[in-house]
Amino acid sequence: MPTIPLVAFLVLLGLSAVPATAGAQQATLPRAFELERRGNYEAAVQEYRGVLSAKPGDVSALLGLERVLLPLNRSVEIVPDVRAALAANPSSAALFGAALRAWGAADQPDSMRAMAERWARVAPGDEAPYREWGAAALAARQREGALLAYRLGRERLGRSDVLAAEIAQLAVSDGDYATAAREWIPAVRRLPGYRVTAVATLAHAPASRRPELLRILAAEPDFAARRLESELRVKWGDPLGGWSALESGLPQAGRQGIEALRVLVEQLRMLRTRDALLAQGRALEAIAVRLPESQAPRTRLEAAQAYSAAGEREAARRMLSGLADDRTAPGAVSSGAASALLTVLIAEGKLGEVRRRLTELRGQMSGEEHGELTRALVAAYIRGGELDRADSVLGRDSTIEGFALAGRIRLYRGDLDGAVESFKQAGPYAGDRAEATRRTVLLAILQPIEADTLAPLGAALLRLEQGDTGRAVAELEVVAGDLPAAKGGAEIRLLAGRLAAAKGDPALAERLYRLAASKEAPATAPAAELALAELMLAARRTPEAVAQLEHLILSYPESALVPQARRALDVARGAVPQT
Amino acid sequence: MVRASAGLVTLTPGLFRLPVGNGAAPWLLVPMDDAQSDHLKAYGLAFRLLERSGKAEWLLNYRGGAFLLPADGATSRDAALAGVTTEPLDDARVVEIRGEIQNGNMDAVPLEKAPKVAVYAPPNAAPWDDAVTMALNYAGIKFEKIWDPEVVGQGLRDYDWLHLHHEDFTGQYSKFFLNYAGAPWLTEMVEQNRTMARSLGYPSVPAEKRAVALAIGDFVERGGFLFAMCTATETLDLALAAEGVDIAAAYADGSPMDADAGARMRWERALAFQDARLELSPTTPVYSDIDGHQVNSPDRRQPLGSFTLFNFSAKIDPVATMLVQSHRQVIPDFYGLTTSFVRRRLKPNVTVLAEEAGAPWVKYIHGERGQGTWTFFGGHDPEDPQHQIGDAPTDLSLHPHSPGYRLILNNVLFPAAKKKELKT
Repeated sequence: MPTIPLVAFLVLLGLSAVPATAGAQQATLPRAFELERRGNYEAAVQEYRGVLSAKPGDVSALLGLERVLLPLNRSVEIVPDVRAALAANPSSAALFGAALRAWGAADQPDSMRAMAERWARVAPGDEAPYREWGAAALAARQREGALLAYRLGRERLGRSDVLAAEIAQLAVSDGDYATAAREWIPAVRRLPGYRVTAVATLAHAPASRRPELLRILAAEPDFAARRLESELRVKWGDPLGGWSALESGLPQAGRQGIEALRVLVEQLRMLRTRDALLAQGRALEAIAVRLPESQAPRTRLEAAQAYSAAGEREAARRMLSGLADDRTAPGAVSSGAASALLTVLIAEGKLGEVRRRLTELRGQMSGEEHGELTRALVAAYIRGGELDRADSVLGRDSTIEGFALAGRIRLYRGDLDGAVESFKQAGPYAGDRAEATRRTVLLAILQPIEADTLAPLGAALLRLEQGDTGRAVAELEVVAGDLPAAKGGAEIRLLAGRLAAAKGDPALAERLYRLAASKEAPATAPAAELALAELMLAARRTPEAVAQLEHLILSYPESALVPQARRALDVARGAVPQT
Repeated sequence: MVRASAGLVTLTPGLFRLPVGNGAAPWLLVPMDDAQSDHLKAYGLAFRLLERSGKAEWLLNYRGGAFLLPADGATSRDAALAGVTTEPLDDARVVEIRGEIQNGNMDAVPLEKAPKVAVYAPPNAAPWDDAVTMALNYAGIKFEKIWDPEVVGQGLRDYDWLHLHHEDFTGQYSKFFLNYAGAPWLTEMVEQNRTMARSLGYPSVPAEKRAVALAIGDFVERGGFLFAMCTATETLDLALAAEGVDIAAAYADGSPMDADAGARMRWERALAFQDARLELSPTTPVYSDIDGHQVNSPDRRQPLGSFTLFNFSAKIDPVATMLVQSHRQVIPDFYGLTTSFVRRRLKPNVTVLAEEAGAPWVKYIHGERGQGTWTFFGGHDPEDPQHQIGDAPTDLSLHPHSPGYRLILNNVLFPAAKKKELKT
């Protein structure tokens, strides 16, 4: 579609400045605008033509006529009006632009070229004639004509960066990303605002072409090329490469470097990978170095948090050193730094130090923040198997998260009654959704068990918490063997089966599922049968899975799992698409 | 092969009663009103019973078009597995229902034999790009996929029921040739069709597709049941009517369309349409003015509304009544390359099954040719109204009550009905 350049709209907006002496014209032009606004293009054509007959060189009327002819698919009809306008007003840039579009619509490339040359003589040194010529050619689907316009403009004006952005965009539309990259570099050097468009267009390059583009960019020595390379690397999933590219050209001081780093950080915040967090930490650290000392602490804290989230505890600690104890730092920064430092220490297993610091910081932190860190410390003690210490630090925490932790401590001690009571007090909202689901699963396991205490079960589950799945499965199986199926035996075997499957031992999982699918435990058996069928489907044992699912549906028609089983049956039979 | 005929037998004395366990109800009613938990799988349940040589009755207009099945073990098991709602009935209740049917605009049609179903589709067609294939898969109804060699070679003699979806029988690749030039799927489609035309000895794809269309026309003449959707409806008739007329663009057969093609069409050869104006431009993805919605023509495209199923007299017009059995009478419309059929282009003997009230087009039509019948249903996918190439497949487990898909399955089961002489 032909584009109407900015100048046309500026002329339109400048109507209020039309002198009062143009009375007859003003009387008609507003009517034409009103007709155009209402969408009555046919009548607007007549109205604009009326204005032009009185004043052929009227730019507003000619551009209005151009606009209303376009939706009528009659753009070519403007040619005589343009001729008359140029005769009356031979040096108007807006009229030259309209003329170029008119010849484009009329498919007259030679006239377009002649018009652009005429405009260039009126405005020597200006890129506009060639840019508008190219745009008009593109609107008329004359790609070669557009390229000729841009190349001629560059040749006539004698500079290699002339119309570089236009040539780059043309190359992108041709899928010629290498040329686009070479053209975008001078375009961005000249007008840094082009960087966003350059990155957006080059980012679409297919994976096979990307190494070539990176080589082209790397061959350019300046910072503009480094920024392009950096942002493209991040877009293409290489955040650390993006950081390295930027760092290599980063000025030691000045706003330019900080602005580039901030843009990179914003880009990295969209990603949640470890590499992205690490790159974010490094970029934030580089910003902090460049900031005045009074502004640096907050950025160092952010860097520490990014490093900590990336698992780079040493780097996090380096950023935090002095910050947590810095009395001159703003309160929120100091508190945030202390919190981040404690998180790092917990991750490093330095729980004694955390406990000591928490005591010291009690007055400096909000109660909520102190409570969260205390519970994080309790969770770390639990994972370490130090249940007495965990209990002691937790104290009488009456938050729902506190009850959830108390439930875990009791469970791992084998106090099943106490664990059930605490989990019920914690309810469904403590922690995140995954934690809540885990508690529900544990409750389902514990409730059928008649014994109040069962130390081997607590020990097996603690083993699981500590990440030793293999031993946990073995111990759970032993515990299940001592319990009747309907009194917890089946549920524990189902859990052990799921753990075995997740650990990659399908044979063990299948054996445990089959034991769990006992008719004596009708509340557990459907879930065990479904898990067994899913295991079979994953192993492409479709006929067996189908038989298992049918058995489930027919044996336990009232089970809440029947719809899920029917869905699995549909998938197994190919009755619905696999999603 | 089961032969289609003008009507169906009158209400039979009742189904063969199977022995059941002590005290168990001997019948299962499969309600097809809002009490049904999976309308689409209910058709599969009835179909599989017929495959096992069982007998069923289709209770037209009774509780949404319910099925009456013997409560044998296999059927009860099948219903439980499929999640189809059934209601056990004793003999006394069945007698009561028959009385209700006798006194209302209802009828009981015996279903006797599972028709042998064929779906016309290229070998590489994705199973999820054809509403009928999806419905059959979901309902668990067996079918065979066939393509040009089977149609031209064996003339469809092994099948009772044939479904066509979005095949372009004018041989112009759905007129995607220009808009999707270079797309890998189109390149593959073109190459596959050209290879097939060559291997069957035809000079061009349009010539070969017309031969396929003629074989399908013969299938109907001989007593076959044809069900077509989407662009297969319109292009099948165009191909049948284009005797000695080139209606394909040059990119398809090397020669431009005949300038006077519209005037030379032999509309008496077509099944449903007449006097259509052909689209002469090869770049406009439209075939003719048969379709009311013209989805791929920006300046002619019409918005979607909803269509209403007609009520027919169950005892006088059982065929039409079977084809419109549904628990919803008004159904949201959906696009296809051919979405609807302009009324003024329909032949006078065409039965309109569903229309958009006040619109110049209808949605769902039916007719007879020779000893067979055909049914055309406009649109591509009843649960994907704006279907675009590359869209995610429709998962019918999310639409188990789809009234649009029910219309498709009505067509699959209709050939199973026992024939009778026309009453009127």
